[in-house]
Amino acid sequence: MITRRIGRFFDERLGSDSWVRTAFAKIYPDHWSFYLGEFALYCFVLLVATGVWLTFVFDATEAGAFDSVVALGRTAPAGYFIRQVHHWSAVVFVAAIVVHMGRIFFTAAYRKPREINWVIGILMLMLASITGFTGYSLPDDALSGTGLRISDSVLLSIPFIGGWAAGVLNGGSYPGPLLIPHLYTFHVYYLPVAIAGLLSVHLALLVYQKHTQFVRDPAHVVGRRFWPDYALRTLAAFFATVAVVFVLGAFIEINAIEQYGRYHDYVITNPATPDWYAGWLDGALRLGPAIEWKIFGHPIPPVFWPGIVLPGLTFTLVVAWPWIDKLVTRRDVATDVLVPASAAPWRVGVGAALITAGIVLTLAASDDQQARTLHVKVTALVWLYRILFAFGSVGAGLIAALFARELRARYDERGQEAERVVALVRTAQGGFEEETPAAEPAAPL
Amino acid sequence: MKNAALVVAILAAFGCVVVAALHGNPALLGGLAALSAAGIAVAAGAAAVALRAPDDLTEPRHMRGPSAPPPLPDDIMSRRGVFGRLWWLAFASFGLLAVVPLVALGRRPRRTGTAWSKGARLVTPQGTPLKADDLVVGAVETVFPEGKLASPESAVLLVRVETDKLRLPAERSDWTRDGNVAYSKVCTHAGCPVALYRKASHELYCPCHQSVFDVLGGAAPVSGPATRALPQLALDVDGDGYLIARGDFTDPVGPDEWWRTI
Repeated sequence: MITRRIGRFFDERLGSDSWVRTAFAKIYPDHWSFYLGEFALYCFVLLVATGVWLTFVFDATEAGAFDSVVALGRTAPAGYFIRQVHHWSAVVFVAAIVVHMGRIFFTAAYRKPREINWVIGILMLMLASITGFTGYSLPDDALSGTGLRISDSVLLSIPFIGGWAAGVLNGGSYPGPLLIPHLYTFHVYYLPVAIAGLLSVHLALLVYQKHTQFVRDPAHVVGRRFWPDYALRTLAAFFATVAVVFVLGAFIEINAIEQYGRYHDYVITNPATPDWYAGWLDGALRLGPAIEWKIFGHPIPPVFWPGIVLPGLTFTLVVAWPWIDKLVTRRDVATDVLVPASAAPWRVGVGAALITAGIVLTLAASDDQQARTLHVKVTALVWLYRILFAFGSVGAGLIAALFARELRARYDERGQEAERVVALVRTAQGGFEEETPAAEPAAPL
Repeated sequence: MKNAALVVAILAAFGCVVVAALHGNPALLGGLAALSAAGIAVAAGAAAVALRAPDDLTEPRHMRGPSAPPPLPDDIMSRRGVFGRLWWLAFASFGLLAVVPLVALGRRPRRTGTAWSKGARLVTPQGTPLKADDLVVGAVETVFPEGKLASPESAVLLVRVETDKLRLPAERSDWTRDGNVAYSKVCTHAGCPVALYRKASHELYCPCHQSVFDVLGGAAPVSGPATRALPQLALDVDGDGYLIARGDFTDPVGPDEWWRTI
């Protein structure tokens, strides 16, 4: 009743019923993997909701940051829980983005006309990681302070402009008095606003260009209506995300800064391992060779290669991926139909190699703890991970590509079988006859 | 199923509020909040599954591009367009102005050394000065220059080792006192505190990236990603028997950068 009246209020002023009706009748293709991006979206909603609350209790000064966060755990249970949910949402947020990106990659959904949304997605992944890093560094505890010191050294290592970049972030030498205020401004303003802006464009493009689908009907969107089918499903996805993050926040303590203690530049926690999405960079710093070159007497510090060059190349490769795909497949036509991952073994191979390299680097970020548990030398693990990074990733890519080729062959056989059955036609005499199926356009790879 | 889940969601939400009001256990509070969300999720999922809508509704797709815009009016059609090359050069030059505010943000002041100076006593983070015999052989202590506690980049690790085992370069033979040897605690790799000492092998170990430094041999890197030795602080003993520095470090402390020429 009340919704109807509100609806009439807006319709009389904006003519909204018409486009609401259209929006409700819009068809969305359905597949379980299409919800991965939604999990990320809903994590962002949770992050904003809990983050706004936290701005009222957090003291963004160097003197007060640590105590204000510790105080959350001591006063009301709600404050502690909200902070836990905020941190867990960030962890799940980045994870959901990465898995969503994997789905887009392996089904080749980034191809023309959706390259723009691929690039926006990659930018959001980078921003989400940096937002997470600035966020877990805010409490000024011993663990995150160490991470900040490392990031300062990495910034410092950039040729020519390193000192300027590190100085701007810290407001002077490390640890500068402006470090916490700078991080805070980035964390609650620049970065989330950038993510929200990109997210809006990401979703608007998705609606405007219409979603991709597995059904091989290039002329139509095949799926279900927004209302009520998709609305109920996405409602379930939202509350499922909330439930999962709440369970994590309620029962698994994350970032127990009270145990780490306040940061001083001469104390450190051991072990010292960052949040999972920064692990690959920390692992790279551990595996990086102990080489320091000099250019005209200026040093190129060892952290420059794993800390700046490696992520720079990785993100360049990933951003350029739709165009690399275009070069490899020599295809430049717009398509809305997804391919099963196995349809292009080379893509599966590249994806598997990248994932393996990422996992190896992430594992390397806790090599000291593994060495202690397994009673082996850290140096042995470092060499193992270096070899796995260089050759294991290539090997995994090759195996995955061969596996995909085998899968594709089986699919093709089954597909031909199915087509043969479908192509039976009834003759005028009442018998059945096989009809040669009209040449269908080859499945786009 | 659906209604039961919704009832659970309602009860759990009220329970959560009660727990919060009573300052109860955070795990209970969070668990009830999660249960409430899970109830709605289950109900929505069940309602979605129960829908009898046909599976394969379709909607035509329209190719979104390239579009066919109407031709430009004659009066704005010109051979060269409105903006010639000089225009673009002017735009780009104006954009280049961005360098001015960026540079105006300032750069980090050059590191001019640490807080160590000739005659500065070595004190613990609590401010206690140390004599040459205060550490037993095998012990290690973080020290600062007296009066400048926790000054950045000045943290030093004082290690006591067997004097006869030291293998320091010849010019540093006078930098230790009774087996007390002092090195910068700031890792030359990425700046972490080199906080761990392995007594048996006389090695300093950085927990961040596992660089290992040889205490007996001038803290040269043994393994890990560090390329440079930890700078050594030359020690002496003052009239009252307290350990003092003979001056600031002679090597730069901390990780390297482009503008630091060694």
